This record gives sequence, C-alpha cells and structure tokens, in this order.
Amino acid sequence: MSTPAIDITGLTKTYGRDRGIEDVNLRIEEGEIFGFIGPNGAGKSTTIRVLLNLLFPTSGKAQILGLDVARDSKEIKYHTGYVPSDANAYSQMEADEFFRYCGRFFRSDGNERRIRELTELFEVDRRRKISDLSMGNRKKISIIQSLLHKPKLLIVDEPTTGLDPLMQARFFELLRSENHRGMTVFYSSHSLSDVQMLCRRVAIIGEGRIITVEEIEALRKRQLKKIYIEFNNSENNTVMELPGIEDTPLISGRTVKFLYSGDINRLISALHDRGIADMTIEEPSLEEIFMHYYY
Amino acid sequence: MNSNLFIRELRNNALSLVIWTGVISALTALTMSFYGIFLENNQNILAMISILPEGTLQFKGISDVNDLFSVLGFYSANNVIYMLVLGSIYSIVLSSGILLREEENKTAEFLLAWPLTRGEIFFSKALVVLLNVVVINIVTAVTGYISLEIVKREPFSTDAFLVMSVYTLLLNLFFASLGLFMSTLVKKARPITTLSIGLVLILYFIFTISNITEGLSMIGYASPYKFVSLDTLNPEYGIELTSVLYFFTFSLVFMLFSFRLYRKKDIYL
Repeated sequence: MSTPAIDITGLTKTYGRDRGIEDVNLRIEEGEIFGFIGPNGAGKSTTIRVLLNLLFPTSGKAQILGLDVARDSKEIKYHTGYVPSDANAYSQMEADEFFRYCGRFFRSDGNERRIRELTELFEVDRRRKISDLSMGNRKKISIIQSLLHKPKLLIVDEPTTGLDPLMQARFFELLRSENHRGMTVFYSSHSLSDVQMLCRRVAIIGEGRIITVEEIEALRKRQLKKIYIEFNNSENNTVMELPGIEDTPLISGRTVKFLYSGDINRLISALHDRGIADMTIEEPSLEEIFMHYYY
Repeated sequence: MNSNLFIRELRNNALSLVIWTGVISALTALTMSFYGIFLENNQNILAMISILPEGTLQFKGISDVNDLFSVLGFYSANNVIYMLVLGSIYSIVLSSGILLREEENKTAEFLLAWPLTRGEIFFSKALVVLLNVVVINIVTAVTGYISLEIVKREPFSTDAFLVMSVYTLLLNLFFASLGLFMSTLVKKARPITTLSIGLVLILYFIFTISNITEGLSMIGYASPYKFVSLDTLNPEYGIELTSVLYFFTFSLVFMLFSFRLYRKKDIYL
C-alpha cells in the first residue's frame, strides 16, 4: 500500500477555552481531492494548523507523506503548499516581490515562468502593493504563492472567499489539472457546494470531532430538501404520511415545514390535489444537515 | 539561520533603525553643542541646580554637581537618557515585536508554511536584532565622540568613554534578549510594545529611587541599571567583572529560554 498523503491518528489538540479537536482520525490517499467540511469553529483550522506545525498536538500524531508533522516539518514543507483562510500576505510588499521572496525559500529558485503562468491565469497585477489589493486579489496572491514550487500536497482553507465566479472556476480548473499531474488536495471549507464540485470523498467535522467520512456521491444521494408548503385553507393542512419525510413537520396555520429526502415526484403527486397556494423547495444549510443527521 | 529571511528582516527594520539612530545622534550632537554655553554660565547653572529638588541629578546618574562641568560628565549625564533609556526602549521594542509581528499580521501562516525550522526563524530574527542594536550603539557612540572632540575645552579620557559605550551596549543587549523572551511567553502581540516600554521605564525608576532614597539601595539590584557604572571621572573607572557576568548571564539565559519556548510555541492567529 502506498504512503498516504495525510495520515492522522487519534489527534487531539486542546487549548484554553477553545474546544480544539478531539481524537481525529483521517487518511487521505495520494492523488485525492479530499473535502473537509464543517461549520465555523468546528476544528477545521485547528486540524490544518497542526498539520502545518503552527500548533503542537496534545496527543495523537499526524504524518504528511510519511513524515511526522512536528519532527520533519521543514522537509514536509518542501512538498506542501498552503492557502490560509485569512489572505493577509505581507502587505508592504509588491506582489512580485512577495512571490520571489517566497520562491527563495524553496530549493527550486528560477520559477519566473511559473510566476508568469499563474499571474496571467489569475489576472494579477504583479507591480501592485499587496496592501492596495482587494480581498479577492489578495486571495489570488496566496493561491499563486502556494503553487509556485509545484507541491505534492496542497492544503487550502476557505480558498474561494472573495473570488468572483470566473476566478473560482479557473481555480477549480487549475486544481483539477494539478491533481491530474499527481497533486493531492486537502480542501477545507464550510461550503458544501464547493466541496461537492471537486471532491470524491469528504470528511465532516463538528465540535472538534470527525462525524463521518463519506463519498460525495453517498452524501448527494441522501440530499435533504427543505420544503415549505402554504395551503389554501388550514383544513387541508394534515400531516402527510410519506416515506422520506425526515422530521416531524412543523404546522402553523396554513403552512407546513419539513425536511424531505425522498423522491420529489412522489411528494408532488401526494400534494397535487390538496389545494396549494405556494411552495418552496430549498437546499438546507450545512448546519441543518449536521443537525439532522448527526445530533 | 536563513539568509532569505535574515535579509528580509534587515530591510523591514531598516527604516526604524535609521530613524532611531538619526534622532538619538542628532539629540546627542545638539545637547553637546550647548556645552560651551553651559560652561560659561556655570554660576547661574549652579544657582539653578541648587533650587532643584534633591535627587534630580541622581536621576541622570550624576553624584557630584561639579562632574557636569567636565565634558565627559556632561556627555554621560545626557547619554543616560538618550542611550541608556531611549536606546534600551529601541532594543526591547524591536526584539519583542520581531517574532510576534508575524503573528499579529497573520503572516505567520505563510512563514511557517515555508520550509524553515523554528530555530532558523528564531536565529535569523535574533541576529537582525543583535546587528541593529550594535549598529545604533556604534553610530551614536561615534557621534558622541566626535561631538566631545569638537566641544571639549580640555582633554578627556577616551578609555572612560569606551567603557561607558560598552556598558551601554551591554545594557541594550540585555533589554533586547529580555524582549525576545517576553514575546515568546505571550499569546497576543498587541500589548507587548506598551509593556516593553513600561518595563524599561520602571526598571530605570527603581534604580533612581534606590539611589536617592536611603534604605532602599538594596532594591536597586532588581534593576539592570544598577550594574551600569557611569563614574567616568573616577581614575579607577573600568568594566567591572560582576557587571559583565550579570549582563552575559542574563542575556544568554533569556536567549536560551526564548529559543526553547519558541521551538515549541503554539502559534495562534
């Protein structure tokens, strides 16, 4: 069996009042695009910061490419790239100066072509001071910085914040093509839709613990919908007995609200002669999915 | 040591080095240019000093009023404020911020994701601190020496001048290592600058108060200023072994502890 890109076993990090993470186990194979999702404060950034050795584990261990994250941190970082969630690069530098500064830390130095390719792809003005750039442009700077040395593993934390849809699409395209060349991606986000577009597998973290590791396909199959129905009069407003209704419907006056995971056609046919005034079907938020499945 | 980081840090801190060095040198030269006037009005000055509260001179490290009329005594009294206090503030502010600024500005997330060990980060930055403190000391001392040569009415002891300059450097390095040490203890960067400046001033006041208040002389030993001798006019004036040991030991211990703490420090952002 090949060495996993990331191997985390029994990892716990506790500090002060913050929750941290508890007994996290994850194994990400080389060549994967792996999603890591959870609500804010669930422990995503803590996990990443342990991987990058900003934080030291309280117990358990983590390896990247077979090397220990604390002991072999320097060696690991020749092969990893990181896009932090806060795009606060060195604000007093020009973009170009920053890329060169960053490039000099790696063994491969002459990466002018790589800088040009990436800055052209993201339409970044290399002469601008980083502090003068918008949030989205600073995010692009961090993304470019993370890819300059062609890492074997890319760790990204909320990378699309601030990016416009066009740039987001280019970024995803770039991740896919780098992935084809063998780069593993660890994609942390609170947005399920980003992760669904890119990843095959996803780990869901909540309150510092891994709740589940699933194939995206499986998650999608039992995708929940949030249904609101407003009936013409409250007499029609009886609770329906239908497989796929996931919770006790909330009834108030002429409206009913519930989570549904079954076949939409069956729902429609069950409703068609009930005299409906209005109806909405929504994607539930990630939090609602968590609340529903895991608590 | 990482040369890329070292050079970057030198550049980051160059402006503040130039400003501090420039201001202190200018103040030194300006003050020394008043020496002639000061000497010519010695009767008036003595009369003025006599109405000052007792201890005012002690505050500037002067034990005998007449010392002020020798050019080296005059220089030393002003150097206390300029280099022993301001220079120490420069040193501690520089050193306490150099590691923490990366956390404060959240650039630590980049720095620590690049192939560098904590030790390389620590020593590259510590070396920048050392270099800057040495530079500000050399430049201000040279300015001081030239000023002395220009305004002097009678010869002064170059040896005594050098001894005082060495004491100043040792004290500044003490504060520099203390600043590094403090910065590895705290989690948040913001209050550290205020705290550092406050600490220099408090230690200086402890020293002066212990000098002017009978019965409190023992508390002076809580302050590194106690180990700086300014008795420049004493023919026996030289570098005391206890002072050298004191400064070397403390600076080394602070450095060693900072390094050990930084190597294992959790970086919160």
